Amino acid sequence: MKDDITREERVAGLKGMGCSRKRVEDARFTQGKGNYVDDIKLPGMLHGDFVRSPYAHARIKSINIDAAMALPGVVAVLTAKDLEPLGLHWMPTLAGDKQMVLADGKVLFQGQEVAFVVASDRYVAADAVELVEVDYEELEVLVDPFKSLQSDVVLREDLVAEDGSIPNGAHGPRKHPNHIFTWEVGEEEATNQVIDNAEVVATEEMYYHRTHPCPLETCGSVASMDKVNGKLTLWGTFQAPHVVRTVASILSGIEEHNIRVVSPDIGGGFGNKVGVYPGYVCSIVASIVTGVPVKWVEDRMENLMSTAFARDYWMKGKISATKEGKITGLHCHVTADHGAFDACADPTKFPAGFMNICTGSYDIPVAYLGVDGVYTNKAPGGVSYRCSFRVTEAVYFIERMIEVLAIELNMDPAKLRSINFIKKEQFPYTAALGWEYDSGDYQTAWDKALAAVDYTGLRAEQAQRVEDFKAGKTRKVMGIGLSFFTEIVGAGPVKNCDILGMGMFDSCEIRIHPTGSAVARLGTISQGQGHATTFAQILATEIGLPADSITIEEGDTDTAPYGLGTYGSRSTPVAGAATAMAGRKIRAKAQMIAAYLLEVHDDDVEFDVDRFVVKGAPERFKTMKDIAYAAYHQAIPGLEPGLEAVSYYDPPNMTYPFGAYVCVMDIDVDTGVPEIRRFYALDDCGTRINPMVIEGQIHGGLTEALAVALGQEIAYDDMGNVKTGTLMDFFLPTAWEVPNYETDFTVTPSPHHPIGAKGVGESPHVGGVPCFSNAVQDAFRPFGNRHTNMPHDHWRIWQTANSLGMHG
Amino acid sequence: MELNDQITINAPMARVYAALNDPEILRHCIPGCEELTQLSDTELQAKILLKVGPVKARFSGDVQLDKSGAPDAFSLTGQGNGGVAGHATGGADVTLIADGETTILTYDAKAKIGGKLAQLGSRLIQSTSKKLAAKFFQSFAEALDAEKVG
Repeated sequence: MKDDITREERVAGLKGMGCSRKRVEDARFTQGKGNYVDDIKLPGMLHGDFVRSPYAHARIKSINIDAAMALPGVVAVLTAKDLEPLGLHWMPTLAGDKQMVLADGKVLFQGQEVAFVVASDRYVAADAVELVEVDYEELEVLVDPFKSLQSDVVLREDLVAEDGSIPNGAHGPRKHPNHIFTWEVGEEEATNQVIDNAEVVATEEMYYHRTHPCPLETCGSVASMDKVNGKLTLWGTFQAPHVVRTVASILSGIEEHNIRVVSPDIGGGFGNKVGVYPGYVCSIVASIVTGVPVKWVEDRMENLMSTAFARDYWMKGKISATKEGKITGLHCHVTADHGAFDACADPTKFPAGFMNICTGSYDIPVAYLGVDGVYTNKAPGGVSYRCSFRVTEAVYFIERMIEVLAIELNMDPAKLRSINFIKKEQFPYTAALGWEYDSGDYQTAWDKALAAVDYTGLRAEQAQRVEDFKAGKTRKVMGIGLSFFTEIVGAGPVKNCDILGMGMFDSCEIRIHPTGSAVARLGTISQGQGHATTFAQILATEIGLPADSITIEEGDTDTAPYGLGTYGSRSTPVAGAATAMAGRKIRAKAQMIAAYLLEVHDDDVEFDVDRFVVKGAPERFKTMKDIAYAAYHQAIPGLEPGLEAVSYYDPPNMTYPFGAYVCVMDIDVDTGVPEIRRFYALDDCGTRINPMVIEGQIHGGLTEALAVALGQEIAYDDMGNVKTGTLMDFFLPTAWEVPNYETDFTVTPSPHHPIGAKGVGESPHVGGVPCFSNAVQDAFRPFGNRHTNMPHDHWRIWQTANSLGMHG
Repeated sequence: MELNDQITINAPMARVYAALNDPEILRHCIPGCEELTQLSDTELQAKILLKVGPVKARFSGDVQLDKSGAPDAFSLTGQGNGGVAGHATGGADVTLIADGETTILTYDAKAKIGGKLAQLGSRLIQSTSKKLAAKFFQSFAEALDAEKVG
């Protein structure tokens, strides 16, 4: 048999790994044919809406639902009293704490859920919300974690024993009624000793402000309890549908096989859709009570003020070095504001996530990290907004400390980084705070980045600009923002990573159809990442069937294999690995079938792109299409019919993508407006599956980084009012604010991942935030700036210029 | 939030003072006031329909008057609750100075605002409050003016 196409054409035809295959999802997204939670409409469906607290801290004296119930169309108004007999007025959080589903005697943050109105339509529900009369007694509000730790006001009376003692929390002893945990990693004494005796020490305090993932689609759910067959179906905005099913089963007592959880299309998650929210629980209870489907979808204000926030870390650092710039030690303490309930989404053993990656990309011999979690009258959450668990905080911290140390040493910050990089030959590298970095080649990436932007030339230009400014020739200063980051993604090995006791493996199940197409189902769920495109590409390369002939399905717990979901850039490192491993099982069976069909021994055939060929006789082959048909319809001695495989992948380690970013910015000191002239992003995410999807991810992550660094925040006043509850005040960048991005790459495959891929969705955010911030700070460095806190909005930049005497 | 202004009212001081204590005139002049009940000499109860930006809500509240500075000054404190729309507490000091047949009224008010009003209306509250206060005193001045003409 002879082929009429070349091997190259066969490779191209698969659209496998390395191909910029167009996203298969986009046909429906760009034509308005996506199917989101709010698109789900079931016969007789009712609509839920929350009565929310206008106070940040108050006791509830009474709730009167009479007027609301009298409104035509209102079916039920649920309060904590109704949920209590079911044991559902409180629910466990992902962080080992518990959280009120509906206010149980008091409210602890503005926007907290107080009552759930169920009505015939959304408008009636909204009207009824206004008719529920709640009598509040205001209590003293604590929005500052430092004050909270000193205050006599107890926020969580449920966490203080009757005799006034403070029982341990989920993460050990608590020092104060408003204290949640202390988490310590590393050697404090040894670190202090090094720092106390160091030649050069830089210290800095920085506040990583509270912000919010703010996905375009807000959170919501539709619950449908079928009382005839006892089955509960729950559609919702879930980044981890299988976890939701298990938790729902444990909470409700409904057996897991009778619960079907479906994540349909999701309009962005960025961490906001990892947690379990009162709305989900209330829609389920309401459906059980009423016997008809109940939908709950929050509005934008509710999303910003009540569902999971990100950051709110007060970080205090000390870094020591020799006069030549070799870092000798790092000390970091964080006061972490977790809001009213500890609902952080972190693996159980890591109450501050992977903040202990804060030694960054540098070879630091000794380090210490201490984190104190604190309750305040703010919304609960603490998710990782477009980053692996608390990694943005860690990278921001170290990249600022490096800049501050460079000022202390009077050294160029790019050079300081070079001096301290973990060297290529040191990998695998065990950091002072415990992580084993799998691979890296930092210096090569750094040199490539600095050369691409002509770093030396930029510094010369900046020096000239400083002269010009001082001579009154210009009112614009120039900043060069640098950042070099190492992410830690792909959580994670079950031995140390679990959420609520659920191990963080992931899965893939493949079924090959007789005519040579396939369906693969995964335990993850795309929220815009393009899984249906990229996972099909992994499989195409692994099993030799065209990506276009492979359907990827996720998010339906009735059909998809169990997995822990999509967040923390874990889909490719974990589910992507499972996909490759399952593909290899398919290939192993296909090899036996091919050998039988070709009448040779199993070892005498080898895989080649889309077929098995007889070794040394490539004209004798069977394509995967032929093999698929034979697998089902030909009796093969010793082999079961069919061609299916499943893999549950427990990763041996995390993956460690890295990158080098440079931002060049001009800032008008009189208006405080920054203008981004250039942004260069070099990413090394190991093996690249789809360069176009990677580029898209980088553009998106950088844009969210720009948002966070330059203005996006959840701000509270001293009464606990959310001051940024709408998109008028909460900054979401548009095409107008977004610069042109230049992307670049190096490839350092992960040694332990089946295809060497590391994950990339969050890297640009992790590296981008410090890069934008460093650009602003660098612009003012020649005028005496050392550190100013984000977000660098126009007003704060103007204030910086003003405080440095630049307004004459 | 702080509000202060000075306005000249075309009526003698005693009349202005009396009018400021007259629930009927107040009800007529307070923008959006639907009910105003005098509970005692120093206590009033009010229902007001208020619109600040996108928030429109019925506020019910009570006001306590301090008349110890009569007849050329009085102060009031109050609190209002608009349910899900939000809540406010505040107070004002009003001083009156006779200027022939007219009276110069000066007010100095402070308010703390919470809930949806504070979130949605934060950038509108100051300007809306100013507008409402101006509208009140304009109506008030007009009411007394009309009395004179009548």
